[in-house]
Amino acid sequence: MAVPLVSVPEFGLRSTHSQAISVSATIEEEPSASQEFNVFQVYQRILENEEIATPLAAILALTELLDHSRAGTMFELVKELNGGAEVLKTRTSNSISLNAGCELFIAFVTLFPHESDSFSELKTELVKQGQQYAKEALTYRHKIAELALGFIKDDSVILTHSYSRVVIQALLLAHKQKRISVYVTEARPRGFGVKTYEILTAAGIPCAMVLDSAVAYVMDTVDFVLVGSEAVVESGGLINAVGSNQMAIIAKAANKPFYALAESYKFHRLFPLSQYDLPTHHPDILSFPKPAHRSSPALTARPSVHPSIAGHVSTATEELPTWKSGLLVKSPFQMSMTPEQISRNPSVDYTRPDLISLVFSDVGILTPEGVSQYLVGMFAG
Amino acid sequence: MASDIQNYANQRIVEVLASKLRRRQVVGSRNAAIETTLVLRQVVSKARFSNIDQLVDIIRSVGRRLVEAQPKEHTVGNTVRKVLHHIREEYHTAVEGTAAATKKEDFSISRFVSQGQPRKQNIPVPKSEERTTTLRENDPDDPDSFAKGLKPVLMEAIQDVLDELETVYDNVSKNARDHIHSDEIVLTIGHSKTVEAFLKSAAHYRNYTVIVAESSPSYSGHEMARSLSSSNISTFLVPDSSIYALMSRVNKVILGAHAILANGGMFALTGSLLAASAAHAHSTPVVVCAGQFKLTPLWNLYHEYGALDFSDPSSVLGFEEGDLVDKVDVINPYFDYVRPELVDVYITNDGDHPPSSVYRLIKESYDDDDHEL
Amino acid sequence: MTKAERRELQERQRAEKASGKTGSAAPSTPAAKKGRRGSLAEGLSTPGSAQKGKETKEGVSGAVGGGGGEDAGKARGLRIFSHFGLPKPITSHKGEIHPAIVRLGLQFSEFKITGANARCIATLTAFKSVIQDYVTPPNNTLSRHLMTHLSPQISYLVAARPMSVTMGNAIRQLKLEISGTDIDLPEQDAKDALCDKIDNYIRDRIIIADQVIQDTAGKKIKDGDVILTYARSSVVEKVLLQAHSDGKKFSVIVVDSRPMLEGKNLLHTLSSHSIPTTYLLLPSLPSIITEATTILLGAHSLHSNGAVYSRAGTAMVAMLGKEYRVPVVVCCETYKFSESVGVDGFSKNELAPINKFSTPPHSKSPQSLLSASTNENPYLEILNPLYDLTPPTSITAVVTEVGVIPPNSISSIPLALGRNMI
Repeated sequence: MAVPLVSVPEFGLRSTHSQAISVSATIEEEPSASQEFNVFQVYQRILENEEIATPLAAILALTELLDHSRAGTMFELVKELNGGAEVLKTRTSNSISLNAGCELFIAFVTLFPHESDSFSELKTELVKQGQQYAKEALTYRHKIAELALGFIKDDSVILTHSYSRVVIQALLLAHKQKRISVYVTEARPRGFGVKTYEILTAAGIPCAMVLDSAVAYVMDTVDFVLVGSEAVVESGGLINAVGSNQMAIIAKAANKPFYALAESYKFHRLFPLSQYDLPTHHPDILSFPKPAHRSSPALTARPSVHPSIAGHVSTATEELPTWKSGLLVKSPFQMSMTPEQISRNPSVDYTRPDLISLVFSDVGILTPEGVSQYLVGMFAG
Repeated sequence: MASDIQNYANQRIVEVLASKLRRRQVVGSRNAAIETTLVLRQVVSKARFSNIDQLVDIIRSVGRRLVEAQPKEHTVGNTVRKVLHHIREEYHTAVEGTAAATKKEDFSISRFVSQGQPRKQNIPVPKSEERTTTLRENDPDDPDSFAKGLKPVLMEAIQDVLDELETVYDNVSKNARDHIHSDEIVLTIGHSKTVEAFLKSAAHYRNYTVIVAESSPSYSGHEMARSLSSSNISTFLVPDSSIYALMSRVNKVILGAHAILANGGMFALTGSLLAASAAHAHSTPVVVCAGQFKLTPLWNLYHEYGALDFSDPSSVLGFEEGDLVDKVDVINPYFDYVRPELVDVYITNDGDHPPSSVYRLIKESYDDDDHEL
Repeated sequence: MTKAERRELQERQRAEKASGKTGSAAPSTPAAKKGRRGSLAEGLSTPGSAQKGKETKEGVSGAVGGGGGEDAGKARGLRIFSHFGLPKPITSHKGEIHPAIVRLGLQFSEFKITGANARCIATLTAFKSVIQDYVTPPNNTLSRHLMTHLSPQISYLVAARPMSVTMGNAIRQLKLEISGTDIDLPEQDAKDALCDKIDNYIRDRIIIADQVIQDTAGKKIKDGDVILTYARSSVVEKVLLQAHSDGKKFSVIVVDSRPMLEGKNLLHTLSSHSIPTTYLLLPSLPSIITEATTILLGAHSLHSNGAVYSRAGTAMVAMLGKEYRVPVVVCCETYKFSESVGVDGFSKNELAPINKFSTPPHSKSPQSLLSASTNENPYLEILNPLYDLTPPTSITAVVTEVGVIPPNSISSIPLALGRNMI
């Protein structure tokens, strides 16, 4: 497997970025058994709807697979579903949240009590369930936003990280009823924080961008930290864009609460023992470059001022506003890492449960220990 | 809704209790809980309802009125929720097996997530055949049959709640001797009846010393010291300022609670946070004795500064300092919020629990729908 | 044990000690007294009130057997507090005690003069008059005999209330000066020189030091600050008043606690200068601490590991300040430094007399708890420790007249100042 590129729009970014960032552009036809059904294509198509998160998209894709499936028994069905899930996993570089959705759906299918004798009836029932759930799941963000509202006081200063739809919805809801101000981190290298900044400012919320390296500086003035999540794992910990762990540690040192917002389909049965126990971790991450490569200009270890490469890294870097003015200033001599260097950096990290104060989910407000209760109920036995 | 006469009767009983709560004439969380249970018992016995939802609505509206009267007294709401939980449980046991009443549970993915794997469908058990009367809901001919059939069971359930409340002190102190050892020095603050019963019960078996911090400005510590020493427990009364100084010799800190919140934290008498922090700094265990009726399924109370009850500032700075009175702001909060990390164990009438499992206790004792009355 | 027997025991023990030591110097006597406190306390022959006698009996360690008559069960926890000792009532004095000292002793035991600085200044002033009235006996030199003359005066004061570290340091300095007096100097000149030295000490180490601290700490106070302070420290009061007269706009939160409730005095002073103040009692502190920008505390003395020995309750204020990330600043003159290392509030402490401080103000029960405790209820004890020890980890900075220092560097100060002792 080649070095995974900075791809996988799991935050739903499209268009401008897809040209700059090379996605696995060529989608080969997957000959799976006797169908021309391409689950990955379906998945990508579903993801084009910005509202749908990756686990949901996975569930919908698998639902469609189910629909097209010609399996005759439960056993074959589950096998097909597993196969489809495998395809999705191998095609995406960061598959944790996708995994969560797949496992949830497959577990549900396996445990679905089937009284009806007709298999096709069962299938239609399952398909219906899947689609119904997806519809319901779109209301979860609103539910979570309401729960979080109770914890936001007037004149709160909130710190958030990168781009998360559920956090944005919570903040927008809070803004309607209370006065809040928000700090957003840039979240390099993809710079999704800028997107959050734009959305919040457009809604009239006083918002300021913070360098990832300035989080400790700003932490004493913040009331609490609010982040979204890619997955919430069995230990009660959080998997989110890289930088969340840092923020949680600083928040703990400054005695500030750290809240995570996660819809229930992001609960995942994984138990990472450390950062290096994550499925996204591979030996190339943060490895030292081999000396043989030093000569080749394209992969220099030193940060270089290459306008072409700097521009290529991501349009987000160019749009990066300076901390003080908040305007979009393109600084001509901005030094940045090469894309190859960036690819050696992790894209997600794991936050330990003792750093998290509470997890807000559509099933309620949970302490990190409470998360495992749900997971055991779903998957044990 | 029920008839007007019934409403009137309900309202009178409820109003009496609500005004007592508002005027803080009901002192002590246990008393508040007992009074609430008695009122609920009256309400249920006189209530007329033809299906379970009506009954739940009635109780909920009563609960709402009482909680509004005194929002800081959380045990009122807790008792209402507990009664509702018991009622629903009794109702489900009663209608189980009756074909007419079983609703087919829709099994969907969202339910799968929140409730886990599907439970096996209940086949009518032979026990249900003994039941001669079947509960018919919403029966147009005899609207009271449902109520009549259910009421005896409900009364029993409410009586259970009342019994539990009355035996709180005994149950909490049951294992007191396992928690306190000979020659230990125990620190407590203010006057909590639960802690008092706990310490007195341990004194039957062990010889130990108690340091009581007097907890200004209510100085309730004096009462506690007097009561403990009259039971021949060797007691030291100290001012709050010396808690840190003495902490290095203290083996355990035992505190009482006003309400236990869903995250494992608690509201307790002013000064508890100081004692718990000082204990934490010395790695001394902090033990909280509280009845289960103090478990509150609310989370965000501690964010509101107003959740702390404030009392009369003249006990802090009296009028004899006349010239200061209008120049100086005086603050006198009655409660503190103590974080869950500072508490090691909650000793309740239902066993000992660490703060991290409080949310689970709450899930078991109350229904999710009742969090907001 | 009857009073006579107790007196005998006391004389016997004193004789033992006297023969064991040669030329007992005054400071070691208080130390020895502290060590023998257990036995002495019970051996007290008090012509005073029977109540006091009962108190001392209760303060006794069971070791000397004096309290053996009481229930062994009751005396269970008392042993760990026994070394605190209660202030002993004024004994019948051996030898002449100067009237100024008598008056001072009375003021100390009645807690009319409190606070490390106040007590030190009062003591030194009283010593000045003692020195002036002193006449060297024939065949003796001033430098040798004056000290022995002062010793009983000092022990009289210690009997009234245990010596503060400031007094100890000052007296040690005084002794140094006395022994360094030129033998050939005429008596009056020597006495004048000593009085001058005492004045200089007060001026340099206390008054001027305070001014420097006012300026230094004042720089840390900015407009809009909310300063939190505990009880009443003379230094902190000066700092606040100075900052206010410099025109800075800030408000003060005064936290107070029993038994002494000294914060009310500070409150009066501050509000008479129209500084906006808030007043609350110690247990209510957590609800207000998030509003504070700085915490200013005074100290009774500073140990060489940076631990602060100060009024009981200071440790809790500092601990909470650290938890809520509010900087904790201690204002302390260098003459308050003590070479010992403090570990916890037990190694050195003092109990306030019960009869002065047991009745809480505005108490609802008219009956004082005192009578309940001593007469009716042998199981109830009242303890009022006056001091506690704040560990250096809770303190952000110490402001002295030589600058702002981190607490862990205290021990290097004397070296830096070129002195071999404080």
